[in-house]
Parts: sequence; C-alpha cells; structure tokens
Amino acid sequence: MTCAPGKPCEEGRKRRGAFGILGVMALIFVALSVASFLKSRNQAVPANVSYGVHSAVDGKRVFQAYNCMGCHTLLGNGAYLGPDLTNIYEHAGPAWLEAFLPSAGGWPTATAVQVHLQGSGPSAAGGTNSLDAYFKQYPGAAERVHRRGGGTTHMPNLSFRPNEVARLIAFLKYTSEMNTEGWPPKPKVDGLGFALATPMPGLAAADAGAGNPAAGPDAQAAIDPAAHGGQLVKQSGCTACHAPDTTRLVGPGWGGLYGSTVTLADGSTVQADDAYLAASIRTPDAQVASGYPPGLMPSYAAMLDDDQVNAIVAYLRTLSGAGQ
Amino acid sequence: MIQIQYDTQRLSMRFFMLMLVLFIIQVGFGMLIALQHIDPALLAGTLNFNIARAEHLNLGIIWILSGFIGTILFVGPLLSKRELASPWLIKFLFYALVAVTIWNVIAQSFASSGIAGWWMGQPWIQEGLEYLEAGRVADIIILVGFSILAYVVLRTFPPRKEWNEIHWGLALGVVALTLVWIFGLFFIERQDVSEYFRWYVVHYWVEGVWEVIHISLIGFLLVLLFDANVKSVGYAVFWGVALVWLSGLIGNAHHYFWIGTPEFWQFWGSLFSALEPLPLIFCFWHIYLDAHNDRKPLKNAPAFYFILGSVVLEQVGAGILGFTMTFALTNVWSHGTWVTPSHAHLALFGTFGMLGIAAAYYAVPLMRGLKDYDERMGKLAFWLVFTGMLGMAFAFALGGTVQVFAYRTLGLDWFGGDIFPAMNFFKVLVPVFGTLFTIGGLLIAYDLITMGYRAPAGAPAKTVHANPGGTRFATGWGRYLTGYESGIWLLGMWFFGAVITFGLLSFNLASVQAGNPTLPYLLASIGYPGLLLVTLLFVWRFLASMESRASEPATILDGPSSQALGQAG
Repeated sequence: MTCAPGKPCEEGRKRRGAFGILGVMALIFVALSVASFLKSRNQAVPANVSYGVHSAVDGKRVFQAYNCMGCHTLLGNGAYLGPDLTNIYEHAGPAWLEAFLPSAGGWPTATAVQVHLQGSGPSAAGGTNSLDAYFKQYPGAAERVHRRGGGTTHMPNLSFRPNEVARLIAFLKYTSEMNTEGWPPKPKVDGLGFALATPMPGLAAADAGAGNPAAGPDAQAAIDPAAHGGQLVKQSGCTACHAPDTTRLVGPGWGGLYGSTVTLADGSTVQADDAYLAASIRTPDAQVASGYPPGLMPSYAAMLDDDQVNAIVAYLRTLSGAGQ
Repeated sequence: MIQIQYDTQRLSMRFFMLMLVLFIIQVGFGMLIALQHIDPALLAGTLNFNIARAEHLNLGIIWILSGFIGTILFVGPLLSKRELASPWLIKFLFYALVAVTIWNVIAQSFASSGIAGWWMGQPWIQEGLEYLEAGRVADIIILVGFSILAYVVLRTFPPRKEWNEIHWGLALGVVALTLVWIFGLFFIERQDVSEYFRWYVVHYWVEGVWEVIHISLIGFLLVLLFDANVKSVGYAVFWGVALVWLSGLIGNAHHYFWIGTPEFWQFWGSLFSALEPLPLIFCFWHIYLDAHNDRKPLKNAPAFYFILGSVVLEQVGAGILGFTMTFALTNVWSHGTWVTPSHAHLALFGTFGMLGIAAAYYAVPLMRGLKDYDERMGKLAFWLVFTGMLGMAFAFALGGTVQVFAYRTLGLDWFGGDIFPAMNFFKVLVPVFGTLFTIGGLLIAYDLITMGYRAPAGAPAKTVHANPGGTRFATGWGRYLTGYESGIWLLGMWFFGAVITFGLLSFNLASVQAGNPTLPYLLASIGYPGLLLVTLLFVWRFLASMESRASEPATILDGPSSQALGQAG
C-alpha cells in the first residue's frame, strides 16, 4: 500500500470506493441501532419506573447533576473510585439506600435501615417492613449492615434537596431493572470466605455479646444511662448524621446543643431541654430547626423505648460543654 | 531548517502556549485524583474526586484540541501555499477557547451541590456525563469554535481538485469533528440511549476524527522533518484514514456490549474493533519507512522523539491494549475496572498529546527564529513523560487485574474495605510514576515557553560524537535499524499483547471462577510488564539508531533508498 511518485495511484477512485463501503457499513450500523431500541425488546425505560411518586427520569437528572459518574461507574462506564451502581437497588434495596444516601459519609446500621422501613416508600417498594424479611430479600443490605454498619465511608456527605434521594432511588431502581446482557458477571463463589475480604469487624465482639444476652443493654443502662446512650447513638446510626462536637454533618452537631436555644424553621425559639430533645428523636418533623429540611430525619419513636430515649438524652447532656 | 514563510502561521503560537499551560493544570488535577484514590478523605467536601476528575478529563480534551488547532494552523498555510483565511476569526477562536475553558472549570464545581442549571430540559452549567461533563453553555461555544476551525481550514485550502490526500484527511477530520459534537448536545432520558449517543461523541472523536487528524498531521510533519515525498506519504495517509473509518465505524459497537443494547453488538463489536489496530500498524510501519528514507541526522530531535512516541504509544496503548479488551469475552471482565485506564492513558496522552507536543517542538523554534536550540531538555523531558506514562499504565493494568478478581470474580463490592486494600500497592504506584511524568511535563512547558528567551546553556546544541576514524558505522544498540528488526520488535509487542488477552480470557475458566487467581495474575504479570518494557526498549533502540546518524560518515548520507522513494516534490 505504497505509491511511488509519478505512478498512477488512482486515489480518487479508491477514495470513492472507500466511501461506498463506508456507506454500506453505516447502513448496517443504523439498522442494528434501530433494532436495538425497538419496543419489542422490552428493555426497561425510565418513564415507566417510579419510586413512590418520583420518576426515574427525574432521578437521572439528579444523577447527572451531582456527577455521580465522576466517582462511580454505571453500566460499567464512569470513574473507578466507588462501586458500580447499576444493580445496587436490586442488591441493597430502597430502605438501605434511603438510610445511606442522606448521610453518605457513614454506613447505615440495622436500626437506621429499620427506621426507613417504617416509611411508606421503602415498605411499599420493598414489600416488607420487617428487617429480617428485608435482609432476606436484599442480601446486599444485610452484608453492608453487618460488615460496615456504623463505620465511615469514603463518600462525602452530599446536601441533597428534598425528594432528590427518592428520585435517585427511582433511577437506580430503573437501572437495576435494565437488561444488560449478563453484565456484571455473577460471582460463582462467596467472596466473603476469601482472604481478600476484610474480616468482619466486631465479629468477635458480636460472638461475645451473643454468649450472654442477659447482660445486654438493660444491664448497662442500670449502671450509667449516659454511657448506654453513647452506645445507642452508634448502634442506631445517629452518628452517621450527627457529630459529637459542633460540626454539621447532615444534621446539627451535638456539642453544646443541650441547654442551648434552638431557632426553629418558623422563626420561634425553643430551649433544647430534655423534653425537646426527646421529642426531636421521636417526632423530628414536629419542631424542625431552622436551616434543616423537614423529613430529613426519620422518626425513631417505634425503634427506641422510653428508657433508651432518656439514655440518649442523658448522653447528649454530657456533651453540653463540648465544642464551646 | 526552513523559515516561517507565512505570517499567519504565527497564529499557532498562542494555541501551543495555551496547550502547555492547560497540560500542566491537567497533570496537576491528575496527581490530585491519584492521591485521592489512595486517601479518599483528601480534600473531600472541598474539591471532591468527581469534580477534580471532570477537570482532569475536560482539560485533557481541551489541551489536546488546542494542540491540534495549533498544528493545523501551522501546517495549513504550508499545505495551501497561501496565508490562512480570516485571521481575525482565529484570534476570536483563541479568546473563545480561553473563555470557555475558564467557564467550564468553574462550572464543574457546581456538581458538588447538584446544580446542573436545568432550563428548557437541558443542563446548561454541567451535565455529569463522563467526558461530556460540560454543560450546554460551553457545548454551544465549543460547537461555534469547531465551526470556525472547519471554516478557516476549508477556506484556506486550495480548490478541491488540487487537494492531496493530506488535505482530504484534514478536511474530513475538521468537518467530522464539528458534526460528531452535535450528538452530545441533548439530554436523553433513557440510560441506554444516552450512553449510545455519548459514545457517538467519545468514540467517533477519538477513534474516528482525532485519529484521522492525527494520521494527516503526523504524515505532514514527517514530510517536513524528513523531506519525505508528499505524494507517497499522502497515499499512506489515505490508507490510514480509510482503515480507521472502515474499522472504527462499526467498531463503536465495542461500547454497546453491556449498556442495555442487544447481544448482537457483541459479535459486531468484537469483529470490527479487533480490526481497529490495522491502521495503527500501518502508521507504525510508515513512520519507520519515512524515517529511513535517507540516513541524514535528525533535524529536530525532540520533535521526532515525540512523533515516534505518539505513533508507538498509539500502537501499544490504543492498538494492543485496546485489542486485549475489545472482545466481549475479555471486555466482560475488564469493563468498569482499572484495566481500562491503562489503555486510555497511553492511548490519549500517547497518541494525541504527544502529537501536539511534537508539533510545538517543531514549530516554536521556527516561529521564534532560532536556527538551533538546545535539544537536551526536550529529550530528557520526553524520556520522563514516556517512562512515567508507561509506568502509570503498568500500575493501572495490574491494579485493575487485582480489581477484576476481587470485584467481579469474588463479588466483593466494599471498595473501602476489600477492594482498596487489595489494590493499594498499585494505587501508590500511580502517583509515583505520575511524579516522573509531572517533572517531564513541567520541563516540556518550561523548555517550550522560554525557548529563545533564556540564556543559552553554553553546551553545543547538537552532540556530535567524537569519531576519530571518521568512517566507522555505528554498531550495537545504535546500529542501523532495519525494517526486519522493527518487525521483530512489533511482533514482540503483539506477543505480550496476546499474553494479556489470554490473561483476561482466563477469567472465564471454571477454576478461576472458583476462586483461584493464579493464571490471570501470572499472565498479567508477564504480559503487561513485558509489553511496556518492549515498548520502552524499542523506542530507545529506534532513537539510538537515529542519534548515531550524526556520527556516521557523510558519504552514505544519501543512501540508495532515498532515490527509490524520491526526494520531496
């Protein structure tokens, strides 16, 4: 395919020939493309997928607006800092995503997931509001809660606006319904048994705790409510959103909160005393602090009994001097 | 050395300088995200990874384009034997490019608060699609810029019946550059359709348009450097362009394996994109031929170093590494892991980045009126960026192999807990080699920006080896490189490419899927280091043989081969 100077190389004719073949190829390509998006393929489409009242189309807009693809892959395309999101809805389910996304800096605990199972969205979409049944349905959620729950993640907290989390979940529901021709490949082994898997943190502690269930939280509560509260806030996943100092993560920091004057969203003020803090845990939307969207914090009324709420308030009291 | 013949050629200077500045900023963002891969807490909340990465990708595209524009403006008048059309439009293009770059760098940061600037259903500020992160405001300005470039090129060129193949290549390239961009201008609801059209821009740019512009410009730079015959180079350009398009048009199907499009794309993509290395082998072969037209010493060593680097890394990064992951059975594993950036970094910086730098090394001394310049810094910088990039590709590839096993085969999906610790050694290697690369990049920028302004270093610009005999041929590593030997080197590269391919294929074996990674790990740790070392040694060998021409006896400077291929017409 060389052409010496002075010899007739017939570039013009060959170019026309190449364009001709190229045209045939373009026709093949267009035909294949048309066949790819025929309705009869029954590929999932976002306009038909919703989560509660939120459509997956709106979710795609949120997904793009936060440039999620800049850290994660979706359908394998994107960046490689975080895991692929294509099937995360199918693996971890809506309640886990609802617990995770607003406070992405921390891994949700079992209580945090259960709190969200009470909500209408996840239980309607997931079909259950029992944590055990949920974990059976979404083994990925069980794995995440048991191995990572309460720990910190590599993802920064994003300040989602109201409904953006639900829209994202709608979009992820759509992508997990897509037919991706078998990608990603299904693992044939349980990777958790291999050396590359980090040993479960707290596995030993859980075993020890399981040994004498009688010496559980109640026994400790009798000793020191504040210390008990300190454990409860970790177990319940409160610390994913609340820092023990004045740092604002997702919700307000607890340092110096007790006894301070809180400005509410309607402009009125209230003293952060025992009653206010307990009420904020049980019915957070009743008196939302100014600067925080309502509905962000779920109600813990069904999760924590009176003793436990009191223990948490006692713990918060010990932080009243912190950070001031 | 030729003189600047046309005043408007000097308009390319500003684009080369912009290219160098943006290159350095892009490398800075690259170093940042490499460090964030090791410590994701670094600047988290201030400059999140996704934003730094968007800047890294977009600046990479912009500086490569800036280099293309500079090169096209420099060679345009030479190709057309007249001044560029509408110089004022080119000046406007430059300011528009600077403005849109600054705007886009700022606009990307809105992703951390989820602001895309939705208006009329379109994201106007930024849109969070990999490579196409720019919002509509920037998109439209860029479209106008491309149109200006296409207009200027077509207006400058002589009437079409006087076109040679290089005219054809460049003209098709700049027009297609503009047309393909249009497919990225719409928000699409369906993820599969959205990805389908995203690859229209990304794939057809890189594997259609950019390669066509690359082949044409490489061809013309070889004409300039070696006085090669325009007609015979042009004929090679024709075949290169034809092969790129005939393989790449349907080759785009390799992006349609897993995005929700039907299974039949796996057949078309595997078949046609396996042909995509053909034009690259052809280009590789031609640089050998053109460089061995005669045995005259190199006129401008750094320019040739980077041209050779561009063609060789195109062969290795785009051709061989692309080939390894282009089959559905290998791509199913490599897709979405660190295996892919090893290919992408070598291919994009190697092929296109090095071309812009080569053109700058050719054009800047001419425009500054330097008869000769100190080539040592350019040569050193070449070796730094070349080895740095090969090293990064090595780290990405092996880190990716570990990732494939842990993430896909074992199904571990806790990145912080399982995947990162497994990949950690290779994650650390990336900024280590990245530092080499950064130093090389800084040297390039310093050398080219200050060339002609700084005090001469005092040493002779060209090292003429003391050669007491005066008639001795170079022997050993610097001896004449025959075509046969080049073929053996190329075969060596492809041998290791085959090893890598088999390594990726071996993930399909039942024993590997049962949890035994020995075979893929073994093949990857032979294949990748082997390929990258052969590449390094080949370029070293090629350049050593070119360098030793300076000390060869003058009587053979015009060898018989030069008459066979003819002098510049």
